[in-house]
Formats: sequence, C-alpha cells, structure tokens
Amino acid sequence: MNEPWMMLIVACTVFLIGLMGVIFRKNLLIVLMSVELMLNAVNLSFVTFSKLHNSLEGHISVLFVMTVAAAESAVGLGLVIALFRTLKTADSDQIQILRD
Amino acid sequence: MNLLLIVLFPFFGFMINGFMQLRSLKTGHKISSKQSGSIATFAMVLSFITAIYYFIQFSGQQEDGRLIEQNLFSWIKLGAFHVDFSLRLDSLSLLFTMIITGVGSLIHLYSIGYMKEDETPAKYFSYLNLFCFMMLNLVLGATMPHIFLGWEGVGLASYLLIGYWNQDTAKVGAGQKAFVMNRIGDLGFLIAMFIAYKYVGSLDLVDLQKATLSPKIASVVGLLVFFACTGKSAQIPLFTWLPDAMAGPTPVSALIHAATMVTSGIYLLTRISPLLLQAPDVLSVIAMVGVTTAFVSAVIACAQKDIKKILAYSTVSQLGFMFLACGVGAFDAGVFHVMTHAFFKALMFLGAGSVIHALHEEQNIFKMGGLSRKLPITTFTFVMGWAAILGLPPFSGFFSKDEIIIQSLHSQYGNQILFIMALASALLTAFYMTRLLVLVFFSPSRMEKETEEHAHESPLVMTLPLIALAILSLVGGFMHHSEGGHEEGQSIMIASVVVALIGAAFAFFRYRKFDKEEMTNQFVEKGLGIDVFYNKFFGNGVPLLAKGLSKWIEEYFIQNSMKFCTWMVEFSGSVLKSFQVGSMQVYLLMMVVFGLAFMIWILESVMQGVIFYGK
Repeated sequence: MNEPWMMLIVACTVFLIGLMGVIFRKNLLIVLMSVELMLNAVNLSFVTFSKLHNSLEGHISVLFVMTVAAAESAVGLGLVIALFRTLKTADSDQIQILRD
Repeated sequence: MNLLLIVLFPFFGFMINGFMQLRSLKTGHKISSKQSGSIATFAMVLSFITAIYYFIQFSGQQEDGRLIEQNLFSWIKLGAFHVDFSLRLDSLSLLFTMIITGVGSLIHLYSIGYMKEDETPAKYFSYLNLFCFMMLNLVLGATMPHIFLGWEGVGLASYLLIGYWNQDTAKVGAGQKAFVMNRIGDLGFLIAMFIAYKYVGSLDLVDLQKATLSPKIASVVGLLVFFACTGKSAQIPLFTWLPDAMAGPTPVSALIHAATMVTSGIYLLTRISPLLLQAPDVLSVIAMVGVTTAFVSAVIACAQKDIKKILAYSTVSQLGFMFLACGVGAFDAGVFHVMTHAFFKALMFLGAGSVIHALHEEQNIFKMGGLSRKLPITTFTFVMGWAAILGLPPFSGFFSKDEIIIQSLHSQYGNQILFIMALASALLTAFYMTRLLVLVFFSPSRMEKETEEHAHESPLVMTLPLIALAILSLVGGFMHHSEGGHEEGQSIMIASVVVALIGAAFAFFRYRKFDKEEMTNQFVEKGLGIDVFYNKFFGNGVPLLAKGLSKWIEEYFIQNSMKFCTWMVEFSGSVLKSFQVGSMQVYLLMMVVFGLAFMIWILESVMQGVIFYGK
C-alpha cells in the first residue's frame, strides 16, 4: 500500500460508494452517512496528495474538512430528527410538504 | 399678389357652401341655386382674375423668367425624407390654371341655371368648388406627393359629383366604378413615386426633370406613370369609367370629364417629359395606346344613341389624340390640344346640357330633331364646337388636331401606322359628330308633341357661357405659334380637312332625313364588350383567386405552419418535462452526470492543448 495510486483508488471507491448512497438510498440518515463517506474519501485523497508533494497544505485542509463535517453532521442529524418528529418518516420521497 | 390666392378662393367657396348646406340640413331652410351658385362662381372668378394677373406678369418676361415658387410649409418630414408643401407656377401650370379657372367660372355660371330645380344646390356647388381646389393643387403642386394629393382629391370630387343624384343606385354605381378604376391607376402613380424617390432621391418635380436615370428605370417609372394616366385620363385599358360617369349632372361632365380632370394625365406626362424622353420605348407605347384609344372609342361613339355618351366617347377619343401627341414627343401639341379641347368639348357638353334641359331630361338623339328653330343660340354655338372638333379652319381644333396629325408622321418618334390611325379616327370623329349635330338640330323632329311644345331656349346664365366658349373655340387656335408651314405639313393639313369633310358629308346625307330609330350594332353600342369582359374576368376572377388563396395558402400553408409551431413547442415541452420529476435524488444524479461530462470535456481540452492550465 505504499503506492499513491492505490490510495487514490481506495479514495475513489469510497467516494463512489458514498455518491451511490446519496443518490440511491431513500433514508435520510443513510444519505447523511453517505455524505460523510464522500467527505472522508476526499480527505483520503488530500492526505495522499499531501504525501506525494511533501507539503502540509493537504493535512491542514483535512483538519478543516473534519471540523466542518462534524458541524455539518450535527446540524444534519438535528434536521433529520426534527423532520422525523413532525412527519413520522425519514424517507426522502415522502417529504414533500413544500411541493403540496 | 399671392400664389396661394388662386388655390384658396375655391377652397373658401367650398367651405362657405358646405357650411350653408350643413346649416340648411339642420334648420330646413332651402338655399336657392342663385345664392350658392353666385358664391361659388364669384370664388372662381376671383381665382381667374388672379390667374390673369400672373398671365400679364408672365407675358412681360423672358421664357426663363416665367417661374414663381412659393414655399408654404414643411409638409412631411421623416428623417432624410422631406417634402415641402409648395406651389410652383410656370408656363405649363399657368395654362392649366387659366383653363381650370376660366372654363370653370363659365361652367359654374352655367350651373346656376342648370341646377335651378335641384334640391341641394349648395352641396353641388361646394363639391364643384372642392373639385377646382383640388385640380388647382394638382397643377400648381411642386412635388409628386402634392400632385398626388390633387390627383386623389379630384378623384374624390369626381366620385361625389357622378353620384350626386344619390337616390339612383345606377348613378351611385357609376361613381363607384369611376373611383375604383381610378384607384387601379393610382397604384401605378404610387409605385412610380417610390421608385423615383429611390433612384432620384427627391420627389421635387424640378429634380425629377433634371435626373438622368438608366433606360430601364426610366422605362419602369414612365410606364407606371402612364398607367396612372390611363386611369385618370380614361385610356385603354381603364377608360370604361368615363362613359358611365355621364350619370352626373351635365355641367360636371363638361368641367370634370371633358375640360379639366381627364386632362391631368397629359399634364403629368408633360411634367415628367424629360424622363420619358430617356425611354423611347415608353413613348411608343404611349403613342400606340393613345391612337388605339382614339380609334376604338371613335368607333364606339358611332353606335351610341345617348347624346352624352357620344360626347363621352368623343372625349376619350380626343384624349387619345393628346396621348398620341405625347407619345410622339410633341408634348406642346398635346397641351395645346388640351386647351382647345377644353373650349370646344366644354361648349358641346354645355350645349348638350341645354338641349337636355329643354327636353326634360331626354338624352336619346333619336327622340330629338329639328331643334335649330327652338334653340337658336344653342344650335349656333354647338355648330361652332362641331366645326372646332372636326378641325375646320380657322376654328381652334384645326390648329391643335392637325398639329398632332402632322407630328404623328413627321416627328422623330412618329410613323405611318400612327398617322393612318389618327387620320381614320379623325374621319370617324367627323362622322359621329355630324351624326349628332344633324340628328339633334337639323333632321325632322321625332319628339313627342308635348315635349316639343315645351322646348325653349335656356336662360341667359346658360347661354352666356355657351357664347363665351364658342368665341374661345373660334379664336383659341391663334394663341399658339405653330412651327408648321413647311410643304408636307400643309398637304397633311389639307388631307385631314378633306377627310373630316368626307366623314361629315357622309353623315349629313345619311341622317338628313332620318325619321326613325337607327338599329345600331348592340355589341359596338355596349362598348365592344370590354365592360362585360372586365366583369367576367375580374369580377369573377378575383373572387375565384381569393377563394383559391384562402383554400390553399390560408388553409394548407398558414394553418399548417402554425400547427407545426405549436407542435414544436409541445414536443420540446414534453421532452424537457421528463427531466422535472420532482425527486431530489434524480436531480442529484443528473447533476453528477452532467458534472462528470463537463469535467471530462475540460480534461480533454487540457490534454489537447485547447485550454492551457498552469504554467
């Protein structure tokens, strides 16, 4: 696992898994988790490139992303719970009160 | 003195009489023909006096000094296009002005007597003044649009006066026919104006006269203007309205349909003659149409029974002579004939009016006869007119008509065919005029007893214009200096006089003792079937064409193209609708797909070096 391209392939795979989760899953909780996956895949590629170029900038970005992701998932989870409480569902197709 | 005065006097007459008529409609107060007629006549006389003033002023000047121009106001101003409302008086317009105001005054005077029994003389005289106002605009206008204003105005006045007795639908129909026929010609005028503006860059007549155009453009403009003239001046193919226009009161026929309005075509052609001389082909067309009209209408005139119809066809024929003169490049001779024709044809129409008046609206010449004893003054003056139209020396027609016949052979553009046809028309003219004269005045009476007893000479207001016009018909020819006098010219003169005398003698001996109605050829009497042809061809053809257009163009082409447009919108809507499913995840998928496509495109561009990224 010393080769950078292998790391990139892992990052790419994780990103795609996350993307598929976002696109194809209906449950909002799973969607949120998938978003986290995508973010972490990006983090992985950041670190890889950082190692490749011998620079610290990538690491710093990763720290940033992790902080923001923590905040984002806190807000997102809060929203999902609030939605579940009012609508008794976490299915994204069922939530269409704005459309009606 | 002001040039505007000539134009304004008839306009004021029109306004005064018009308001009087409107007031009498409200109050029920009747206006006599003496009241309104004297106002109208006075207006015309004032205008005539103004014209005489200018005539005296002009005769004291050299040829090139005879020009007065008066810019009144800026009429049309659209960007670079600019037309002034200005009056311009030169020798040609002065001659026409003199004819219009002079003959016009006499006819106004005559109308006072003729319209005595009429219900609404104020209306009649206001129309008559309106006509003179418009006609003066036509001859004094300095630009093509100004002439067009007059051109349309006289058409309107003519329409109103032909249908003046509007209780009779046939007469109203005759007015409409005149109007429509004129409109067809006006189309030519308008298009000619547009083309002239495009290639000359100005609509001022002086600029048009100076312009040198390519022969092709000059031909197109000339032909279109000539087409307009065939409408207004009743030439083939648009001449059929003039005989029907005789439905109007007889003084109207004398003024509008003999002396002035119908000669405006000659005026217009003479005005743009430098343009026409650049297009010899158009000149030969004009000459051919003119001489054919002269001949054909003379033939038709020989078979008419209505006194006014004969004079109407005679007018068409004489107008043909004038166009022949224009067509052989002898514009002078044409204008000269306009003048003499105005005198003797107005005289004959007024004489016919006097006869009709005396016989209580009888117009059939086979129900007249022997009137020379009952109407001595009318007879005497009519004989003068007859001599003038035949071209007997020293009457005015002799000078003008023979000038045209000589020019048709000897001019640069003349040839034998034109000459022979002109001579044949002159022969026929002599025949039908003598037929009219003999049947009305000299043959044994064929009138009913009662009518005969009531027949009497017209009052002085009517005979005075007759006498004045008779004198003018006699001396009118000496107002022009003929350049003829060479040997061949003289022999042609003698030939044409002899031809006229032969025609006259033939008619004289044929109709001297006529005491029954002549069986005329119905086909010729009905105008050689030209009206029938127009009715069949255009009357049925145009609706058919319209139906065809509505079926094929409207239904199939326009409707289907509209349907195609709506289908296009519907189709693209239905395609685009499929993207709007309302599911967030589908949108996200689309975003990813298109984002990826975009990224691939960018990467590809970078690799191919289309976009330079970095250093």
